[in-house]
Amino acid sequence: MSLISCRALSKSYRKGPNLVTPLSALDLEVPQGEFLALMGPSGSGKTTLLNLIAGIDSPTSGELLINGQDISKLSRRELTRWRASSVGYIFQLYHLVPVLSAFENVELPLLLTKLSRRDRRAKVSAALELVDLADRADHTPAELSGGQEQRVAIARSLVTNPALLVADEPTGDLDRESANRILDLLRSLTRDHGKTIVMVTHDPTAAAAADRVLHLEKGVLLETAPGPHP
Amino acid sequence: MLPFTYALRNLFRDKSRLAQTVGGSALVVLLVMAAAALNVGMKEVLSASGSPLNAILIGTGSEESMQRSEVSEQTAGIAASAVAGVAHPLGTPAVSTEIHYMTFLQTPDGKRGQGLFRGVSPQAMVVHPEVRLLEGTFPQAGELMAGELAWRKLGFADASSLAVGKSVLLDGAEMKVSGVFAAPGTVMESEIWATLSDLRTLSQRDTVSCVVLRMETPDDFSEADLFSKQRLDLELTAMRESDYYAHLSQFFKPLRVMTWITAGLVAAGALFGGLNTLYAAFASRIRELATLQAIGFTRFAILTSLVQESLLACLTGTLIASVVALLFLDGKTIPFSIGAFTMSITPAVTFSGLFTGLALGLLGALPPAIRCLKPQLPTALRSS
Repeated sequence: MSLISCRALSKSYRKGPNLVTPLSALDLEVPQGEFLALMGPSGSGKTTLLNLIAGIDSPTSGELLINGQDISKLSRRELTRWRASSVGYIFQLYHLVPVLSAFENVELPLLLTKLSRRDRRAKVSAALELVDLADRADHTPAELSGGQEQRVAIARSLVTNPALLVADEPTGDLDRESANRILDLLRSLTRDHGKTIVMVTHDPTAAAAADRVLHLEKGVLLETAPGPHP
Repeated sequence: MLPFTYALRNLFRDKSRLAQTVGGSALVVLLVMAAAALNVGMKEVLSASGSPLNAILIGTGSEESMQRSEVSEQTAGIAASAVAGVAHPLGTPAVSTEIHYMTFLQTPDGKRGQGLFRGVSPQAMVVHPEVRLLEGTFPQAGELMAGELAWRKLGFADASSLAVGKSVLLDGAEMKVSGVFAAPGTVMESEIWATLSDLRTLSQRDTVSCVVLRMETPDDFSEADLFSKQRLDLELTAMRESDYYAHLSQFFKPLRVMTWITAGLVAAGALFGGLNTLYAAFASRIRELATLQAIGFTRFAILTSLVQESLLACLTGTLIASVVALLFLDGKTIPFSIGAFTMSITPAVTFSGLFTGLALGLLGALPPAIRCLKPQLPTALRSS
């Protein structure tokens, strides 16, 4: 069964006098538990597609079903609520809140739930354990390396146990060793925890970690290349 | 909602910006509290200075300045017998003839200041029962009695120059301080009283400024009013003493309005400065604010946190301003043309400061916060 189903999905917006269409009538199916990599040159529409799938942006036309729910029909407020419970976003530059500790950063999405303080604490500890950073819970982002910051960001994205994780160049700002560790972590999340991951990347090595690689060019899916981990 | 600690810790991200916000709001709140205390103090002293039981017979046309008023000295005797309703404590009509005179007083060591002098007879103590002799005696010829705050009106550093037994020069004539009196909360407390005859000589006039009648009840004022209207030959106007000071209060209204305008202008300047500071603070966090939205926090929740942050800074400033006001403004005596008044940090003054602090925090944060939350999420997430 597909977790993500895009049908004739289009996105266009005005930029000055011009109408820009980063995505045009795109069809895509992503099965549950798949690790999908999206590649393509700058401006090809891959981040736009990622933002649509994450409910950060809304399509101009078409259908976008996530877990059977058409999120293109949701209002902004409903979309905000949907994001809080259904998707985890991993950013290239981690986007951690600098004034909060690693623990508090990971706890942020749980503040939107009705969980008790004790339950929140247990979930945050488990998430930090999963990314192997339990011993850095009290550290602020400034006291962590780039790789560690990204792992905290991953812990934050999965602490609410969403079925879907989206990652925008998650290794783009890391050295090779840290990047490999992040990719191993993402792979283990699909393999061991059944998460569906959609990752945008420019890096063929990172894309090779995915189950499937899609190439986008000028808003159209041109090619489907199988990854090395079917 | 975002945790309160998020707002609290964000305050300390940029210490110089924090100092700027706290210091700016403290200054504005202090200024507003000072303006409020000045207004309240001046208004209260003028409203407390006039008794509704006292009727003043004043020269027609001089309703706004007792010092310019010319009333025949025989008026007191005529009024005492002709006006019904005048109080008779101890069998004597409560009628006081007075001269109000503004002149300079000089001390032997060269200190000089302008003060308000009142030429009186002992009957003045009957019509002005709020006056209490604290020390010494009522003045005889060549003597004077100083109000407790007279030194402040004269611009002296302390009250020692007007202590009982001290000699002073009044328009060149040497006089001795015979007593010190209190008249709490009234302009009389900053006056200097001498005998009627001494003031008549000094002011070189053969008339008096006014005749004050103490009535049995406030309603008896109508008798004094009727008297002034029947005796056209005396060219008198009757005024309630309380109305006279209420008129003076109106006279000083532009001054009070000016203090509010000044405080308002400074507050507006500070508000724009605060808007700028907070916009810079929030704009540097647009991506972070967008991340919080991406996680699932509503714009309202983030806006609330930003407002909390601004309110925390401005209320800290308000607290500092309130402490400074209590330490340095409360009880401070301020001279003005007809006397002096004491600034008091009353609950109303404190509330005006608190209201200003809240307004600065709220109005200073809302426009920049709304502006920083306005960009589309994908754009905001890409901002540097």
